[in-house]
Amino acid sequence: MNPRILRPESLADACALLSQDEDALVYGGGTALQILRKQGILSASSFVDISGIPGLNNLHHTGNELLVGPMVSIRRMETDPVVRESVPIASAAYAKVANPRVRNTATVGGNIAHGDYRLDPPVALLVLGATIKATSTAGTRAIPIDKFFIDFQLTALNRGEIVTSIEIPISNDVVASTFVKFSSLSANDWPSASAAAAIVARDGEAQILRLALGALAPTPVMTAVDITGMREAQATEAAVESAMLIMDPLPDVRGGVEYKRNLGRIAVENAVRNLWRDRQSV
Amino acid sequence: MNLTLNINGTVHSVYCAEGDLLLDVLRRLGFTSVREGCGVGACGSCTVLVDGHSVSSCLTLASRCSGTEIRTSEGLGKDNPVVRAFVDEGALQCGYCIPGFVMMATELLSENPHPNEKEIADHLEGNICRCGTYREIVKAVLLASSSASN
Ligand SMILES: Cc1cc2nc3c(=O)[nH]c(=O)nc-3n(C[C@H](O)[C@H](O)[C@H](O)COP(=O)(O)OP(=O)(O)OC[C@H]3O[C@@H](n4cnc5c(N)ncnc54)[C@H](O)[C@@H]3O)c2cc1C
Ligand code: FES
Ligand code: FES
Repeated sequence: MNPRILRPESLADACALLSQDEDALVYGGGTALQILRKQGILSASSFVDISGIPGLNNLHHTGNELLVGPMVSIRRMETDPVVRESVPIASAAYAKVANPRVRNTATVGGNIAHGDYRLDPPVALLVLGATIKATSTAGTRAIPIDKFFIDFQLTALNRGEIVTSIEIPISNDVVASTFVKFSSLSANDWPSASAAAAIVARDGEAQILRLALGALAPTPVMTAVDITGMREAQATEAAVESAMLIMDPLPDVRGGVEYKRNLGRIAVENAVRNLWRDRQSV
Repeated sequence: MNLTLNINGTVHSVYCAEGDLLLDVLRRLGFTSVREGCGVGACGSCTVLVDGHSVSSCLTLASRCSGTEIRTSEGLGKDNPVVRAFVDEGALQCGYCIPGFVMMATELLSENPHPNEKEIADHLEGNICRCGTYREIVKAVLLASSSASN
């Protein structure tokens, strides 16, 4: 049976609908849900379409944070000058999702809630240290992104919780940042390996390399390496060594384990090279 | 449910189920330039513009489109510069994919009237042509962009 479509006009009504029916699902852009429905692997009783709730597609720059509403489209994250300027790696990662049509429809909230280990945006959000706000009838809580992806296709969201905002810090300490994606089937396919990386200045001289990997483990994963005083070759070696420890690729149609580990290593090497180039041009 | 849709500037009233996809509703209304290929957002043959933005109608709820302006390639007409450019460049073989490419190109040119080849390829990369007419399609978009400025 096809799910019913419910259209609450307030967040409180949406939360109430979700709390009354544990088989109801939030409907964002529907680009993932419609595919799952067509594949017959969805047992939702209803879709709670949150597009009619005012304010959920707001994008707000507070000076030190970008507050992104869950219904902001992925395409807007790619093209909006404020996003490009303030968090360039996030914009670059959103720009790599699927194709322009899917990006026009898919939402920031639906993207993160989808919880897939290959998603591009979460890798950038991990490096930037974003926070996910989730609201239900029990109230609103903040989930740091490094606590959000729990296991294969499993996120920290409880049943009935709606992602109501993603808060991305904007920091002057980010000296350089980059996003690298490799796809093996077609240019705009899901990645076989992706890496986001940033050099973050700490207490004057110290520099930390924050590195997150996508499609290379059952969830997006993240590590950090102290690269204070290192040259490019040393930093690359340290980054690769640390990255190899957190890689645990799943073999699939896009490549086997060794192939993906190898692509992952190259993604990290390219990421460090990009960082060094950007840092030098500062 | 009864749904009111503005398609190519004309208001249509149509009876459908609340979960019906825009692709199926448009085809039932006779807009057969909108075609199903993959059904999962990956080929672009079902592309239409909703308020000027390209969407895969195979993944879009029709009921979410009431109050919007939907455009299909039927609404462009044969004197449209993009349509003309595709004809003049012979940018088609079987033609199945072409309305989708035409709508993607229409969106691109409205956002960026003078795209270069890379920008064209980036915007159209999610559209697939089984006949492999890509070269001619890129040329047609370049031609449309130069003829629109004349
Ligand atoms: C052809 C194609 C190619 C793709 N390639 C890529 C790729 O290369 N890289 C990539 O990263 N992604 C890719 N994707 C996946 C894409 O990113 C997701 O489909 C999309 O981001 C989901 O967003 P949505 O708003 O459409 O979510 P929906 O389909 O609406 O929802 C997805 C899930 O999130 C839940 N949900 C939605 N909104 C909320 C909310 N606010 N709060 C709580 N739960 C919510 C839903 O219940 C559902 O479980 C691809 C998709 C397609 C169709
Ligand atoms: S049929 Fe919709 S994108 Fe392929
Ligand atoms: S012309 Fe035949 S599929 Fe493109």
